[in-house]
Amino acid sequence: MLNYIIRRLLIMPIILLGVSLLLFSIISLMKPIDRAKAMFTTDIPNRLRDWEGLIEKFGLDDPVYLQYWHWLVGIEDPDTGDIRGGILRGNLGYSWSGRSSVADVIKRRGPASAELVLWSAFPIIGFGIWMGVKAAVHHNKLIDHILRFSAIAGWSIPAFVIGFLLIMYFSSRLHWFSPGRLTLEVGQIVQSEGFVNYTKMHTIDALLNLRLDVFLDALRHLVLPVITLSVTSWAFLLRMTRFSMLETLNQEYITTARAKGLHEDTIVRRHALPNALIPVITVGGLALVGLFNGVVITEVIFNYPGLGSFLAESAIALDLVSVAGVTLFFSVILVVANLVVDILYMIIDPRIRLD
Amino acid sequence: MTLGMVFTKLLKNPIGILGLILLFAFTMIAIFAPMIAPVPENSFDPQMIPKGGFSRSPQPPSEEHLLGTTGAQYDVFYGVVWGTRTAFRIGIGIAICTTLIGLMIGAIAAFFGGWVDELLMRITEIFQAFPFLLTAIILTSVLKYVYERGEGGVMILVIRALALVIFGIKPSEIIEPNQLTFLFGMIAIIMFGWMEVARVIRGNILSIKHSEYALAAQTIGAKNSRILFRHLMPNALFPLLVIVPMNIGSYVLTYAALSFLGLGVEEGYADWGQMLSLARNWILSLNDHVHIVLYPGAAIVLFVLAWNMVGDALRDILDPRLKGSQSKAIKV
Repeated sequence: MLNYIIRRLLIMPIILLGVSLLLFSIISLMKPIDRAKAMFTTDIPNRLRDWEGLIEKFGLDDPVYLQYWHWLVGIEDPDTGDIRGGILRGNLGYSWSGRSSVADVIKRRGPASAELVLWSAFPIIGFGIWMGVKAAVHHNKLIDHILRFSAIAGWSIPAFVIGFLLIMYFSSRLHWFSPGRLTLEVGQIVQSEGFVNYTKMHTIDALLNLRLDVFLDALRHLVLPVITLSVTSWAFLLRMTRFSMLETLNQEYITTARAKGLHEDTIVRRHALPNALIPVITVGGLALVGLFNGVVITEVIFNYPGLGSFLAESAIALDLVSVAGVTLFFSVILVVANLVVDILYMIIDPRIRLD
Repeated sequence: MTLGMVFTKLLKNPIGILGLILLFAFTMIAIFAPMIAPVPENSFDPQMIPKGGFSRSPQPPSEEHLLGTTGAQYDVFYGVVWGTRTAFRIGIGIAICTTLIGLMIGAIAAFFGGWVDELLMRITEIFQAFPFLLTAIILTSVLKYVYERGEGGVMILVIRALALVIFGIKPSEIIEPNQLTFLFGMIAIIMFGWMEVARVIRGNILSIKHSEYALAAQTIGAKNSRILFRHLMPNALFPLLVIVPMNIGSYVLTYAALSFLGLGVEEGYADWGQMLSLARNWILSLNDHVHIVLYPGAAIVLFVLAWNMVGDALRDILDPRLKGSQSKAIKV
């Protein structure tokens, strides 16, 4: 098992290298001025004739491999002697739509997206697994058909249609929920001095500050986005769990358990479910991709100020630097998550552990 | 199991038959679009939705506009009907390209093995490390710039080839801007949509590579290419029956998401995602303009649902691991 983990750890830098190469090849298609912004957080001169000097200064007409190297580790500014850029130093370029470096934008807007994803995890995992098991246990009965169909339907509804329908009914007609992250007054409390922002995730901060009113307000704003974001991944997990559970229930050791006269509930909960969940873990990475895609759409619909809506705004404004920077950030998370999933799988699955 | 048998079983599966009926209906709408929603005489491109009036807010359904109009007075009925053609073009066009690329890479990796396999699979993994929608977003915007600059010879070749296949535009003709943006979105999704097919094909070929009939072909001295294309491929292709329909659904969804964000087709193009993006301007009063969300939204959902139902039914039919589970699994 140790060998496998070491192998995975060795492969990860190669994957990251490939990811960076691919992204760099996209960046190198951009205009020189965009490349300067993408590669070296810097003050961009307004006048056209000053750009020439910029190209020379940052070696934007150097051979490609040299440019790639500069993009990775940065380049020394001949005027001041500082090192500019370098994604390995955390410099993801300058975002003009965010009016700061991309790294700062991520720090500023990332927690909002993280909060959204975190809250969505509860309904996705809880309902997805529970309903998947229900469907498998009642295979080919009415409840199985209903759940299976609702999973296909959930898988087929785009997030923006769900979002619109929810807004139509709950915001526009019933006025229960409103867009954004907080109501104006509560936003002022969060900004005030007495309120400490530990994580910048409002629900968690509110609990840490013992402010129930802030917590409830933040939660109220999260309800519709969380539902919108969850549906697709929930459907995905339901299908995976159902499929894996059906396979497990077909195994001989389950028949043995039945022959022993165990109660069906015990068989499902103690014998089948833990084993059925192992393959479900392996699709964790895939589910995360779905969540990231969903975050962009969900945040746009609900005017939720996270990284996803920032990405959409900067893409429409053709601020490619920001798009590339945020994409790189999401990709690194994904690579690391996949590694964690793989190792977790190794640790949990006894068949592999004992090899 | 032959293709005919699969089809017969599909017709007996309730979810499968529902999906097939829906697909048939959509095909009919796409074919007879000019009769269902006639193109106005002054229209230069039937895919562009005609405008009906100068009012600022969306108009409810009336005799003139069966399903009402959107905020910019685009006719919803026309858009929904002609959007069917767009959806088929997107789904099937992208699916053909990604399936071919995936087939090639998966087959080469599995057949040659060794370092070739290792290299191709690592490349696949790298492409999978990107969130689908985000890369599509960045690619559509970069492609626009590259094409306008006239650089990137390969890219222009790809765009030309796609234009020929999708719209029937000959290399000597000019591609209209709205068709161009349509193709950019497709290319972006194709580039990051082939990995699943590649992995599945590789896994399948690997499992049948050492089968007896492949060995037999080898012993009688058949060429590598013959073994690959005559013996291994047809058997490895079966799982594609499940994957491809589902992929078509997800490509249409991804494209709709791009259009929704304003990065897919241009405003006014008969595309369901684009029509829904117009509803974003009326988000606070959606309750009064239900029709601008309901009809295009229902069209997308039903279209994707149809493909997914067919795929799901095929999975139940084809997956040998689930065979007999009906009789054995739960009989308590």
